[in-house]
Amino acid sequence: MSGSNGFEPKIVAFVCNWCTYLGADLAGTSRLEYPPNVRILRLPCTGRIDTNLVVKAVEGGADAVLVSGCHPGDCHYNAGNYHARRRWMLFRELLDVLGFDMRRIHFTWISAAEGRKFQHVISEITEQTRALGPWRAYEAKAEIDHRGGLVGQAVSPATGRAGPAPALQAPAPLAEQELRDLARRLLGAGDVKVVIGYGAAGPVFVTKAADVERLVWNEGCQANLTTYLKRKEVRALGKPAVVVKGCDERSLVVLEKESQIRREDVRVIGMACDGMGQEKCAACDTHEPRFADERVGKAGGQGGKPAARYAAVEAILAKTPEERLAFWSAEFDRCLKCYACRQVCPMCYCERCIADKNRPQAIDTSPHRKGNFAWHIARAMHLAGRCVGCDECTRACPAGIDLRLLNLTLARAAETQFGYRAGMDPAAEPPIGAYSLQDKEEFIR
Amino acid sequence: MSARISREDLRKLVAEWLAAGKKVFGPVRVKAGLELYAPLDSAEALLLDGWIRPANSIKELVFPRHEALYGYRILKNRVELVDLAAEIPEQIAIGAHPCDAAALAALDKVFNWDYRDEFYNRRRAATTVITMACAAHDDQCFCTSVGLGPEAERGSDALLHERDGGYEVRAISEKGRILLGGLAGETACPTAQTSGANTPPRRFDSAQVAAFAKEHFEDPYWAERALACLGCGACTFTCPACHCFDMVDEGNGREGVRARNWDACQFPMFTLHASGHNPRANQGARQRQRIYHKFVMYPDKFGEVLCTGCGNCSRNCPVGLGVLPAATEIGNG
Amino acid sequence: MDNIYQPDLMEIAGVRQHTPDVKSVKLRFQDPNRAGSFDFRVGQFGIFSAFGAGEATFNICSSSNWKGSIEFCFRKVGRVTEALWDAEEGDTVGFRGPYGNGYPMEAWRGKDLIFLGGGIAMPPIRCAIWYALENRADYGDITIVYGARTVGDLVFVDELDEWARHPRVRVIRCVDPGGQTPDWTGEIGFVPTVFERADVPAKNAIALVIGPPIMIKNTIPVLERMGGAMSNVYTSLENRMKCGVGKCGRCNAGPVYVCKEGPVFTFEELRAIPMDY
Ligand SMILES: Cc1cc2nc3c(=O)[nH]c(=O)nc-3n(C[C@H](O)[C@H](O)[C@H](O)COP(=O)(O)OP(=O)(O)OC[C@H]3O[C@@H](n4cnc5c(N)ncnc54)[C@H](O)[C@@H]3O)c2cc1C
Ligand code: SF4
Ligand code: SF4
Ligand code: SF4
Ligand code: SF4
Ligand code: FES
Repeated sequence: MSGSNGFEPKIVAFVCNWCTYLGADLAGTSRLEYPPNVRILRLPCTGRIDTNLVVKAVEGGADAVLVSGCHPGDCHYNAGNYHARRRWMLFRELLDVLGFDMRRIHFTWISAAEGRKFQHVISEITEQTRALGPWRAYEAKAEIDHRGGLVGQAVSPATGRAGPAPALQAPAPLAEQELRDLARRLLGAGDVKVVIGYGAAGPVFVTKAADVERLVWNEGCQANLTTYLKRKEVRALGKPAVVVKGCDERSLVVLEKESQIRREDVRVIGMACDGMGQEKCAACDTHEPRFADERVGKAGGQGGKPAARYAAVEAILAKTPEERLAFWSAEFDRCLKCYACRQVCPMCYCERCIADKNRPQAIDTSPHRKGNFAWHIARAMHLAGRCVGCDECTRACPAGIDLRLLNLTLARAAETQFGYRAGMDPAAEPPIGAYSLQDKEEFIR
Repeated sequence: MSARISREDLRKLVAEWLAAGKKVFGPVRVKAGLELYAPLDSAEALLLDGWIRPANSIKELVFPRHEALYGYRILKNRVELVDLAAEIPEQIAIGAHPCDAAALAALDKVFNWDYRDEFYNRRRAATTVITMACAAHDDQCFCTSVGLGPEAERGSDALLHERDGGYEVRAISEKGRILLGGLAGETACPTAQTSGANTPPRRFDSAQVAAFAKEHFEDPYWAERALACLGCGACTFTCPACHCFDMVDEGNGREGVRARNWDACQFPMFTLHASGHNPRANQGARQRQRIYHKFVMYPDKFGEVLCTGCGNCSRNCPVGLGVLPAATEIGNG
Repeated sequence: MDNIYQPDLMEIAGVRQHTPDVKSVKLRFQDPNRAGSFDFRVGQFGIFSAFGAGEATFNICSSSNWKGSIEFCFRKVGRVTEALWDAEEGDTVGFRGPYGNGYPMEAWRGKDLIFLGGGIAMPPIRCAIWYALENRADYGDITIVYGARTVGDLVFVDELDEWARHPRVRVIRCVDPGGQTPDWTGEIGFVPTVFERADVPAKNAIALVIGPPIMIKNTIPVLERMGGAMSNVYTSLENRMKCGVGKCGRCNAGPVYVCKEGPVFTFEELRAIPMDY
């Protein structure tokens, strides 16, 4: 049976080996007829169904995607589906903000005994997709928006980048002196071998007490220097002290939780900060460092407006999915795949990034629209529940892509769904890698 | 004799080109703080002032970040190659900077020594570059340290000089003359020579940079200088003269394309051998390579520096590096 | 449009497996005109492709006297080599080339030849050995020292026997200590040591040394001790390449484009450029 226009939807189903695959098999052996439009791909467990695969299916021309596994409690590996459920919750919010057609992405639990449910689900999805017509996710008209953009947010000027200097009250010169004195003391006493701090033209690595005058503290100190803790060239210098602001400190909390640093191996110099004139500063609630070993200065005290934290996400969600997709297409079309966003991120420490792997090629290396969507979805997902919102990626991007908005989307999802904010509370359980039996699943059939 | 054009007429001219179906690229304000060369959808979009230079470069017109080289179809054990080289429409870069245009002249040589790269040549032939002499500079500009300047002509087909609310127009090549028709004069009007306020000071001596890179190849200087470097592609991808590329296959088991994409010498995997050996095993070696290529290797072969002093690498570097900080240190010996 | 990146389509005319991860492949041009006009110099390389996987650089390991086909030999290490590994006789692969300078075989006439190779480095040496044997009268004594980590890692072993049967050819094989099998009759030791023991006069000889960096590093002093002049000692570099034609900017070692000015260099030449390979 084909639609009146002859359109036959292509549906890709990623199913787990132990339940849904057997359910599909049962449907077959019981001669329960279901449309031939579905292509079933079997994976060991829903926990192993990488969200990249869904993106690949869309890239490959799927008109709808189904992901299905064992019912809660039935997972062959105990909890694979609980973990998957959490990822899907975040993934769906991301796709929604990107403007993907959510009527085409389906999740179900189908057991080995539910041949009939499999038949129903496939028939229904096929019918529904047929009515929707072909999915042209990557053909959004973007040219019209290459200026302005829908959300029209200003990009904070990067350190050293031309443009108006950020307007804010200058941090106290007193703090700068205090910082230098402290660095001199730490280096002089041999407590640390290097102080990673801000210099006049970018990060500096001060190894001699005599050089502490190279350290500055001013409105240009936007970088999150904790990213250097992972670099082998910097590690080779010996025990570091790192200068952080309250916001940067959050990445140390996550890095420690992920066993990337040992807290006692790093001396943390926390700077009280009234803001660096960046967008994130408006909603900042970490003006004072909270975990630092040494503290410098005192913040002026006007707290941010946390209520406004996710305003940008809400603003884009007020647009239609088509408008959102057009917006992101225009944004991603500018992406050069320079990976400055990844390289600057303190949380991106993988020995070999998925974007650099070619067996299999999870993400096209080309900076075309497909390849860029795949990259940005993967990047955002890998940082889901881990991104501390330092906005370094956004600051680093030479193409001015609104990565902040993607990160905020997932941060908002993590906070609203799991009450979690990365790097705020060292005792809190990160959302990814954990699960709760109570996790919402109204989106799963 | 030189000719003049008013601002309004310049926009009118752009509108005419667009109406005639030509692709016109020029500086555009994408959002606050971000100017890029981009295709103009209207003459109004063309940004005529209030910025130093776009964060990208016009090399994209002749050497796009992604370009299919040919397609293939696999039929059992046979393969059929598919010519994907579509016609290149006439394209115009208006409001390019002298540091952009000069880079094209450098790219011409790379893409044509011995083997001729027709992908590049076709685009280059279809492109007319109308350069705007710089009215201002910032502290990252250093064209004068690499033998260029705010009014340099190299690589341009025509040059516009801002004067008294309009522009003096001068054709440099036949292409420029044809495009601008009767509008363009032949020689610079003496009054067009600017006061010098637009000219960045000489910040270093490029011969000294070359000498240092040659003589101090193994110097610890490079590793120290590169400590903050993140190993990204922001500097190379926004550089008008960087031209390294990767070649990849994309497709499925039945058909696909072989394409080239920009690549960056700052990526650790750029030179990684299959054995695990990496000739440039640390970021210092990679930073050295960028300077070495531009100030030693390219000049050795082609007689000029592969850097036009545009400053983009430093402006776009998230951590304040790029060519300039190193060049000022080693080029002022 | 003349497309310098477009490969010739080649049919796989034969596959030989040498070790668990090394194979050599014989290719024939599908276009008969190309087959007739094609020529190359031993020591040159090509860029080979498995469609759908991509391109990889290999030396042409056959002799330029063998008309109508070319051979290459590769180790399975990544995406392209895995795809080539799975290719079978009759399948189509791509080839661009020949690229690079090759060995100056004419200039080597009248000299003794010493070939020193380690592991997978045999292919780029093999083409020169065959070429020299096919023009036997042009060259003096030939010494071949070929070593690998273990007996199972040696490639083209049957040809080693064949070469040894030629007049004035001495073939010495060796494996690293511990890499021998009970029936191993060759030498045990690293190439440089085994070569030194063999005591070959190097004064009037051309030496071609290809292998892992550590082997090369230790062989050079031995050659010097034996009277070899660095202007007569050659190697072939393997800097990573993409275009092969001096455009992609990847392969340079200091000021030289290995793809165009190399891959063959004398050690005299290498000493004049920085250690960037
Ligand atoms: C002039 C020249 C001559 C040569 N001659 C020969 C020859 O005769 N025989 C021969 O066998 N080789 C030869 N080589 C080396 C050969 O070119 C490489 O081994 C080959 O290109 C590997 O290609 P690949 O696609 O299989 O590997 P790739 O997939 O490109 O991987 C190569 C290496 O890159 C890294 N890498 C990239 N992606 C990944 C990933 N996803 N996971 C892990 N690692 C990754 C790893 O280090 C890996 O080993 C030559 C090279 C040159 C320059
Ligand atoms: S993703 Fe961006 S905002 Fe989040 S931690 Fe990384 S650099 Fe900071
Ligand atoms: S920094 Fe910007 S241009 Fe570069 S890869 Fe990231 S998003 Fe793309
Ligand atoms: S190296 Fe830097 S300054 Fe020179 S042309 Fe490239 S981007 Fe411009
Ligand atoms: S110099 Fe700057 S832009 Fe270039 S790789 Fe290093 S961090 Fe990136
Ligand atoms: S391989 Fe591309 S320049 Fe040498």
